[in-house]
Amino acid sequence: MLNAPEASPTGRRVISAIVIVVALVLQVSVANRLPLPGGVTPDLVLLSVVALALVSGSLTGCVAGFCAGLAADIVPPADHTIGRYALVYCVIGYVCGIAAAEMDRQSTVPFFAVAAGALLGTVAYAATGMLLGDPRASWTIVARVVPLQVLYDVVASPFVVWCVLRATRRYDRPERHRDRFSVPAARYRAMSGRTRL
Amino acid sequence: MNDTRRSRMVLGALLVVALAMITIDYRGGDDSPLRGLRGVGEAVFGPVERASAAVVRPVGNAVDAITNAPGERRRADRLQRENQRLRDQLRGTQVDQGKSAQLDRLLGAAGLGGYKIVAANVISVGQGLEDTVTIDAGSGSGIRTDMTVMSADGLVGRVTRVGPATATVLLATDVTSSVGARLEESKEIGIVQGRGRRGLGGGGRTPLRFQLLDANAPMRVGQRLVTLGSQNERPYVPGVPVGTVERIDAPAGGLTRTAYVQPFVHFTSLDVVAVVVAPPKSDPRDAVLPPSPTPPAPPAAGPPSPLPPSAPPHKGGKHPSAQPSQ
Repeated sequence: MLNAPEASPTGRRVISAIVIVVALVLQVSVANRLPLPGGVTPDLVLLSVVALALVSGSLTGCVAGFCAGLAADIVPPADHTIGRYALVYCVIGYVCGIAAAEMDRQSTVPFFAVAAGALLGTVAYAATGMLLGDPRASWTIVARVVPLQVLYDVVASPFVVWCVLRATRRYDRPERHRDRFSVPAARYRAMSGRTRL
Repeated sequence: MNDTRRSRMVLGALLVVALAMITIDYRGGDDSPLRGLRGVGEAVFGPVERASAAVVRPVGNAVDAITNAPGERRRADRLQRENQRLRDQLRGTQVDQGKSAQLDRLLGAAGLGGYKIVAANVISVGQGLEDTVTIDAGSGSGIRTDMTVMSADGLVGRVTRVGPATATVLLATDVTSSVGARLEESKEIGIVQGRGRRGLGGGGRTPLRFQLLDANAPMRVGQRLVTLGSQNERPYVPGVPVGTVERIDAPAGGLTRTAYVQPFVHFTSLDVVAVVVAPPKSDPRDAVLPPSPTPPAPPAAGPPSPLPPSAPPHKGGKHPSAQPSQ
């Protein structure tokens, strides 16, 4: 309700959708094929959702998270119960959107948010699997996956966050370009501050 | 400020939708109405994935070339061999068809085996905890669900879902996968189960677990496994090489014995695979196994030449030594 109407909501939605689709396709056709040690790969979709939420707030965050999760649930090689990623990413988007507004002054927000989002997302996804009795989410597997997954996500996060910031800034808000010297975190804080009063 | 009532309502609504979907899909199992969504996903993302696979393949090759420079030569050799073998296989199938009428008469019900295959590329890999891949061949190429997927080295998995131009393959290393298998020579049967995505369940080198049904049957390290074949050859056709027994658990008083198996296929670098669209006419037994490694197993389990997996005559005993179709 207090969300001020955005400068170009359609453009922002289109950009968000493009970011999600690109992240998803890169995830399944590139990232998941990387032969990284431990067999775990960074979750680019989760990182994109976190970045979008940090840029645009909790409303966009949870909608984008839901859509990204639903897409990840139905993208071809997926073979789990439909709705699990939608649920998890929706919550992650919402929480990270709130965190972006709450921790307004620290410039390390994105890294903590990404690390927290990665941890929360992986654990929550595994938890839904355990609740549903999915044999893939057994304790031995989850205990191995979670630390590595968080590590890889944090390592990959600067690139993803940077790309998302760049995409949203470049095509969505051309008038904000002049802020060249600020670090990205401060920049999107400035952007979100103006949108949301 | 950010946490407005509107965004809370949206969050609540979306959570309800997500939970409803999970419930419907979980309760519905394989015939849940939401599986149609996967069809939509296949139609929408399949072409995108195919295109992106075409784009990223050179990139992946470049990365491979850097990380795996010494192995490149071997890889080229392997692909060449695979090519040769697929070509032989095709030729073999044609020869088989021509000869089968006569030989059928000669050998009664024997007939000549050989898998009929459709080759495909892996274009994407599953996310999260499942071990699945998408291949770029679908119902248009004659692929149906529950068909065996193999590579030149051995068993890969089975087809679980088919789109118009793509299909999803459940790899043998997935936790939910279990395959009937048979030890070479001794013919003792058991079940091969996956240990999780890329061996996450603890096995880096041995992502498969083999449970021998008869706890007293002999089993030794280095023995090789082939698929047993399912009823009506779906989902698994018989005779596909699975892997080598790497380690045997000391019997702990259970009804079965467990061994850990190193698969013939490298599941982390799957590229060209083949879907078996028609099963062999008779069980090829050990004929498809590669020639035995140097020291053990004196009675070679297969023909020494890299020939197509063609079946021995039905009554020919368990160690075929010649290719009946040649």
